[in-house]
Amino acid sequence: MDYVFLACALVSCVASLMVVRSRNPVYSALALMLCFLAFAVVFLRLGAPFLAAMHVLVYTGAILVLFLFVIMLLNLKEEELGREHPDWVKGALALLCVLLFGAIAVPLAREPRLRFRLPPPDEGFGGVEHVGRALFHQYALPFELVSVLIVVAILGCVVLAKRKL
Amino acid sequence: MLPYLLFSAAMFSVGVYGVLARRNLLIVLMSIELMLNGVNIALVAFSRLHGGPDGQVFVLMVMAVAAAEVAVGLAILIALFRTRRTVDTGDLTSLKG
Repeated sequence: MDYVFLACALVSCVASLMVVRSRNPVYSALALMLCFLAFAVVFLRLGAPFLAAMHVLVYTGAILVLFLFVIMLLNLKEEELGREHPDWVKGALALLCVLLFGAIAVPLAREPRLRFRLPPPDEGFGGVEHVGRALFHQYALPFELVSVLIVVAILGCVVLAKRKL
Repeated sequence: MLPYLLFSAAMFSVGVYGVLARRNLLIVLMSIELMLNGVNIALVAFSRLHGGPDGQVFVLMVMAVAAAEVAVGLAILIALFRTRRTVDTGDLTSLKG
């Protein structure tokens, strides 16, 4: 059994529950950071070192800092955090999500073809060269389109962040 | 292989719960990140199973989309907070017919 993966899965399950349960967004963001770091370790265990590095850079480095920055900027007071749904609604939705998990997990657990240990990865699998070769040959067009998406996102942010809407 | 997929499904379900049950827009956005990450884990696991780099390229695309989505989402959140002084999704009913 892969104990590193089990530990990471446990940490990120607890941290993700803290993300969705805590009332204060700062605690949510910090739990989300723990979650993202555990995901990066899982990527390493899956033989994707380049993705693990990118994950830490993009999610922990950029997205989470953006979240924290916005939380600090808004500086929400207790009454501005908004009302939450009553407990019975939350309980019903939690049950619904457990059912969703069951609907995904039970067919997977019953599938005998998935019950195997992953073989060790090939030499260089998941490295910069391996991923980069695919990214710049086979997936060159989607890669270029991502740049269009990012330009559109930048323009959208600038327009939205202007004083007067 | 199976534990990775179960883990991915668990993260996705927790994210769905966050999106449905919370009314704070910041936490809804964080839950969307959790859902995207759950999908990423499944993509990397299948990429490893398949032995090709395709799944990992998809994960990079998902990361780019997630970054763009968060930037625009947080810009909308700031614009909303400036005009309405609220981050509660229940109060945002101006598009309601």
